[in-house]
Amino acid sequence: MEINIPKSSTVFSALLRADFTTQWRNRRSAVLALLIPVIILISWKGIIVKYGGAFVLSSSIALGLVAIGLMGYTNSVARDRDKGIFQRLRVAPIPSWAIMISRLTVQLTMILIVTICVFITGYYVDGIHLSAVGYLLTVISALVGGAVYLSLGQMIVGLIKNPETVNSTTRLVYFVFIITGMIGGLGFLGDIAQKLARWSPYGTVQTMLAGSLQPDLWHNETTMALLVTLGYTLFFAFMGIKKFKWNTR
Amino acid sequence: MNNHEQILNVEGLNVYYGTTHAVQNVSFDVKRGEIFGLLGPNGAGKTSTLSAIEGLLNYHSGSISVAGHNNKAKPLHAKAALGVQLQSTSFQPELTILEILQLYAGIYGLSLRKEELMGKLQDIKLADAANKKFGQLSGGQQQRVSLVIATIHTPQLVLLDEPTTGLDPQSRRQLWERIEGIREKGHGVLLTTHSMEEAQSVCDRIGIIDHGKVIEVNTPEALIEKHKDEPEVIRVSRKGRITLEDVFIALTGTEIRS
Repeated sequence: MEINIPKSSTVFSALLRADFTTQWRNRRSAVLALLIPVIILISWKGIIVKYGGAFVLSSSIALGLVAIGLMGYTNSVARDRDKGIFQRLRVAPIPSWAIMISRLTVQLTMILIVTICVFITGYYVDGIHLSAVGYLLTVISALVGGAVYLSLGQMIVGLIKNPETVNSTTRLVYFVFIITGMIGGLGFLGDIAQKLARWSPYGTVQTMLAGSLQPDLWHNETTMALLVTLGYTLFFAFMGIKKFKWNTR
Repeated sequence: MNNHEQILNVEGLNVYYGTTHAVQNVSFDVKRGEIFGLLGPNGAGKTSTLSAIEGLLNYHSGSISVAGHNNKAKPLHAKAALGVQLQSTSFQPELTILEILQLYAGIYGLSLRKEELMGKLQDIKLADAANKKFGQLSGGQQQRVSLVIATIHTPQLVLLDEPTTGLDPQSRRQLWERIEGIREKGHGVLLTTHSMEEAQSVCDRIGIIDHGKVIEVNTPEALIEKHKDEPEVIRVSRKGRITLEDVFIALTGTEIRS
């Protein structure tokens, strides 16, 4: 019997359209992911002289990335799994990876939007000007950094089935990252805490972003931060994919 | 079109959950233009069998062939020949009914224009609800939308997992007519239900499954005829006249399953 398998491009564009519409209708988390870095950027205007524009800009972007990966992606996956939305999609003739790639594409687009908003706010409010190479490298670093938090979110949703527990866990991790970034990273909690913060998933992304903002000042520690970031991504993604179940039964 | 042609063939299916043997050597088939009912108490193995057919569950052994395609060797072909209405259907709550239809049309490779999608909603008298969210519809309306989505690509086999649960008698009758409409078009239908009235009214053949095993496959009338004189059937009958429910209770026991 002749059976026609739908074209991958048709399937993927249908999924993308639905996922972008869902993201648009679910604007609260998107606005949160956008507002937090912008507010930090504006409120930290006073410390630019002491710590430099690159530090402030990279911290803002890093916190935006954490919000997207943990609050946006993870909670939506946990909810849709719990409601059986994935199971309904999976009985259709589409490979399971297409469902996730579509979701991730939406989140990567969000990362681009947040990064561009931070650039614009930094430029007009804080007077932070970068070279064209700096902007380009930072966008690439933001995508690489975003992948850490998306994969961390994947690991959380892989290890925890209950959507409410996933929600509270992501909030807790987000809070830890804010503390790590804002207090630990600035050295207020001592040298050890500062070192831990620097090599945490938050710190390595922030270091990588700061290096990208000023390509001339890229040094060995920035390269190490990039490698550690990739290591975190691989580990979280491996765990997240291995442990992930498409339903909560 | 050969109406005796098998559209689904399940052969020696075994499903395990850890050490629990949930589906044991289950075999049955569904033909074109036939409504086949899979009946069983809670935990009998109905949903596991259906999940294996849908490709949601990795079964241990046996084979499942949909429209001639083995669902392990050619999963996408098997899925493309299937239309599925899950027990607790859920769609993205942010999308409107029209957008959900658009999504599933795209997923099945159909490029339907808005007017064509609206026509499908018109068929189920839900054109006015095109811009509503799925959660804003009543139970009966939700089931109608689910059935339209399950059949949007005119599949050769439609799987319906307890499609009329929670519906009022009017909605249930309407859904039965739609299910019979699918049969009239020559498609096969496999449905699970707890309603013996539904099974007796709608199904051409019935498979009774219990403790993971198929214990009977026959037409509702033949099942009643075969068991009507058995003492256990007479004992459990309530109104003097033997019904399919009496046969079912006698075959699967009276104890409540979790």
